[in-house]
Amino acid sequence: MSFEPGADLSADEVRERVEETITDNHVALFMKGTPLMPQCGYSRKALGLLQQYEEDVATVDVLESLDAYRSALEPHSGRETIPQAFVDGEFVGGSDILEQLDERGELEAKLDA
Amino acid sequence: MDTETVAELIESGVPDAQVEVTTPRHPDDDDHFAAVVVSPAFEGESLVDQHQRVYDALGDHMTRDIHAIELETYTPEQYDG
Repeated sequence: MSFEPGADLSADEVRERVEETITDNHVALFMKGTPLMPQCGYSRKALGLLQQYEEDVATVDVLESLDAYRSALEPHSGRETIPQAFVDGEFVGGSDILEQLDERGELEAKLDA
Repeated sequence: MDTETVAELIESGVPDAQVEVTTPRHPDDDDHFAAVVVSPAFEGESLVDQHQRVYDALGDHMTRDIHAIELETYTPEQYDG
């Protein structure tokens, strides 16, 4: 049995990782790809918006198990779309909400909360 | 899915909504959309709740027929102001 990371993450492992990431980090972003290699424009935009105000954004690459991550995130945010950003355990939004918050000058305050 | 259908879904799910749906990437894109939604129902709601109304209106289409939708939500005052 090969142990590639995240090769066969079970739904429970994914749920656990989602719980921990949300509760253990001030700012967490579930994205497609990694900060070095984002795999989707919306994920890259969301990360960029967050990093304007927050250096260490904890990121999780949902492509390791996309369907499991979608269903694990839904109870926390009410949706299955990616990316999803959380601040102090609270769902803040996808890239469009982050952008609208930034346009209204409310994003920085949200991150400093 | 086409922009008219997406607009109808949002209008049926969000009370008194004015909706404009476009395809931000290329004209005949059928699963990446952008929508501006203006409704008095958004009064006093957080952005997350406003967007949640739209996602609820789109229901199971989200991530199946609609891969992504960029939302902008406003109350009538915010939009006209």
